[in-house]
Amino acid sequence: MWSGAFWYGSAEQAPSIGFTGEMYPMLKFVRLMLVLTMWLGLAASAQAEPVDERILLTFIPNVQFAPFYVGIEDGYFAEAGFNVSLEHLQEPEVLDLVAVGQAKFGIVSGEQVILARSRGRDVVYVFEWFQQYPVGLVYSSALDLSDLANLQGMAIGIPGRFGASYSGLTTLLGSAGLSEADIDLREIGFNAPEVFCLGAIDAAIVYVNNEPLQIRNLVADGDCGAVSDVEVITVASQVDLVSNGLIVSRAYVDEDPDTVARMVSGLTGALRSVIDNPAGAYIASLKHVDSLPAEEALLNALESAAEEQIAFLESDPDRADIARSRRQLASDLGERFDRATLTQLNVLLNTIELWDAEVIGFSDLSSWEAMRDTLDSMGFLDDGAGRLQDAFTNRFVAGSDG
Amino acid sequence: MSLSLRELSVSFRDPAGGALPALGPISFDVAEQQFVCVVGPTGCGKSTLIRALAGLLPATSGAALYDGQAIDRPMHQFAIMFQDANLMPWRTALDNIALPLEIAGLPRPTRYEIVRALLPQLHLDNFELTYPAALSGGMKQRVALGRVIVQQPKVVLLDEPFGALDALTRENLGRLLLRLRQRYVQTIVMVTHDINEAVLLADRVIVLSRGPGRLVADVLVDLPRPRRHDMIYHQQFLDLTKRVRASIDDLSA
Amino acid sequence: MRKNRLEKSRHFENGAGFGAGTVLRRICPFLTIACLLLLWQWVSAREIISHILVPPPADVYQAFIGSLADGTLLKHTFVTLEEMLYGLLLGVGIGLAIGYAIAKAPILENILSPVIVAFQSTPIVAYAPLLVIWFGSGIASKVVTTAVIVFFPTLVNTIVGIRSVSPNLRDLMRSLKAGRWQIFRHLEAPSALPVILAGLKTSTTLAVIGAVVGEFVSQGSGLGYLVTLARNLYDTPLVVVAVFTMTVISLSLYGIVAYVEWRFLVWQRRASA
Repeated sequence: MWSGAFWYGSAEQAPSIGFTGEMYPMLKFVRLMLVLTMWLGLAASAQAEPVDERILLTFIPNVQFAPFYVGIEDGYFAEAGFNVSLEHLQEPEVLDLVAVGQAKFGIVSGEQVILARSRGRDVVYVFEWFQQYPVGLVYSSALDLSDLANLQGMAIGIPGRFGASYSGLTTLLGSAGLSEADIDLREIGFNAPEVFCLGAIDAAIVYVNNEPLQIRNLVADGDCGAVSDVEVITVASQVDLVSNGLIVSRAYVDEDPDTVARMVSGLTGALRSVIDNPAGAYIASLKHVDSLPAEEALLNALESAAEEQIAFLESDPDRADIARSRRQLASDLGERFDRATLTQLNVLLNTIELWDAEVIGFSDLSSWEAMRDTLDSMGFLDDGAGRLQDAFTNRFVAGSDG
Repeated sequence: MSLSLRELSVSFRDPAGGALPALGPISFDVAEQQFVCVVGPTGCGKSTLIRALAGLLPATSGAALYDGQAIDRPMHQFAIMFQDANLMPWRTALDNIALPLEIAGLPRPTRYEIVRALLPQLHLDNFELTYPAALSGGMKQRVALGRVIVQQPKVVLLDEPFGALDALTRENLGRLLLRLRQRYVQTIVMVTHDINEAVLLADRVIVLSRGPGRLVADVLVDLPRPRRHDMIYHQQFLDLTKRVRASIDDLSA
Repeated sequence: MRKNRLEKSRHFENGAGFGAGTVLRRICPFLTIACLLLLWQWVSAREIISHILVPPPADVYQAFIGSLADGTLLKHTFVTLEEMLYGLLLGVGIGLAIGYAIAKAPILENILSPVIVAFQSTPIVAYAPLLVIWFGSGIASKVVTTAVIVFFPTLVNTIVGIRSVSPNLRDLMRSLKAGRWQIFRHLEAPSALPVILAGLKTSTTLAVIGAVVGEFVSQGSGLGYLVTLARNLYDTPLVVVAVFTMTVISLSLYGIVAYVEWRFLVWQRRASA
């Protein structure tokens, strides 16, 4: 449930058609080019034979896991020496399996690392995947929330008193000098768009890459009561909280740092590729996510966009240019396809904004401290959180990215 | 004239929808306070006769009349006793005997008073709180008999009531039945397959043919009352049993 | 008189079981439990399996005392008990009513059997999320989940119980000119009671499953929620405490029904003696 909270996907997903790369020669060519480029670049350090390795993820297959699909499909993991398979489990299971050594790599949120370490699980967070905490507050533009203290007395929906949503809300309230007792908190499950548009709540705690998109779709269809537009306050805009990332066990970091470094480097490459070329990432995700919309027209458009993007990237654009190219992609496709078809692509584009940073993978001690304080104020850390410096390391990030 | 059968016949429906004649047509009258035993070979419709008289089975044609009225449903003047004691296993002996009184709506103290007064005659004095599972076969039938008596019926219908018991127990129960009859004189129709028992107990023995049962003999038993068990050695008794036996043997011939 | 007393005392002894052999047989289950506890202690002391996966008995005991002291355990236990109680009342009530109706009017069985068979052969976990959508995330959905899961054993046992009423006793009741209610009260109900109570024993254990499945699907409170909560706080000892509590609830309810059976079905006890 908790992990599900993090990866709550869109309700609108069209059935897919069977799709393989072989049906699209151009796409195959794009892939080949990518692999070839990397192979030339990294030939010297190439491993003899990739080893089988599984990465434990949460939730269910979803376009938000695109970096892992790209890592598999476009050879980033193979290049790092891994033949990666993916498994989806509940977050606590992911953490415990990594802690006891039954799996080497897992993706969990930073708060889970703090909680689990306080209960004797010696895991280390080696790569911050989400640079921004994905939770935020969505509300009608008609409300004035320029000062968060105005939340006092408002009805606020939340999936439940658990998980990243609850941590995020606690942090938001704390930054405004409020507590849960000052608001009317309603547990509404994962139904924020519907409940919000029925007018039952004033605001809702949501995943900023997903639900605001759905609510705006409802607004555009005239299905959201008197609401004419919505705004979002992200938790990240108030406090920097550590977010989702890659964990390994302490023992493994000590025994085999080289393998950890290679995995971090593979994931870094794949993540950067998704940030740089979302159209290509969407195509790579099709093989892994059954329900992604994949009409031929959309695929053709994405294929040519991906191809153009490769050419564009050769001109060595900076981060801002690339961000502009993503917005351009969204508006180009927005003119040609309806909202429902593009929902999942837009979720990916929104999520990329939470991933993008000058240097990806780093986490700050301050973001860990902020998370610890939040968990502490929620009463989850009766036994203390231990030394936060032991909970994470950036050594693999710095080593691989240079 | 208490009970009379007028061309009474009963058939069952077989699964294919045809009729399976089980009894009759048969006609005879039973005088008030008469004790009639019905004997006959297996499958002659003896039990069917009792159930028809009890109003539990509808007549297919003809009728059984009580005081001139057709018996088409259970009559409250009648009490029936089944081949197995047919007790409620969740009720003590006392409560089993008291069942008809409870159905009739008597309050508990009255019920128990009536039944307790009866228990010594049934030789059940110490077993009022015993459940049927812990009672012997003879005791169970005495309980069933008690359940008949408390109804104060005008007509008692007995369907091979001692059939499942050993010989000595049968004799004892037979004696008990006669003693009780002296005290609570009723009309009795009893089905049995034991000729000696029939002759010893009854005023009249009716022999039915193989199914569908028809009347083949109607033997008046003019043995003096009270009947004693040593009468079975009397010539008169032997003659009567021979007559009954002969009419049954004629059937198989 | 005397013989009868002896007989009675013999019944009593058999009922209560004071023979040397029975004492040993009665101790056996406790020996099994003790052995399992020792094995658990040994496994965790030697750390054959990581404490993360199997917490030591001492930790579980501490979690038990802790959650008892701060009221957490009782709070969630009462929530689950409440859901189960209402669910049992609802499910058993409807099961008895429909079961009786079907036993008396076989045509109803033909009409209802597709629904009943379909529901019974679908695992409750599969449609529990639907029940939560239909009945909300409050107590109602858990009560309904519990009711649905206990409905079928009650229904089936009621039908079997009523249909197995002795036809001769029915004839007796007819000959006594008993009314419909009297036949129910004095014949059908007591006759079907053993089978229905056997069904109720099954139902009570299923009721725990129903309530907990409901709590897993929609969070809030209750022992199922406590499992999720403790799991998400990596408090494995507390998870074990919550699971043990469910077991204890399940066993207690089973015990209560078994006691009711023992108390009200005296005649069966006597019969088996």
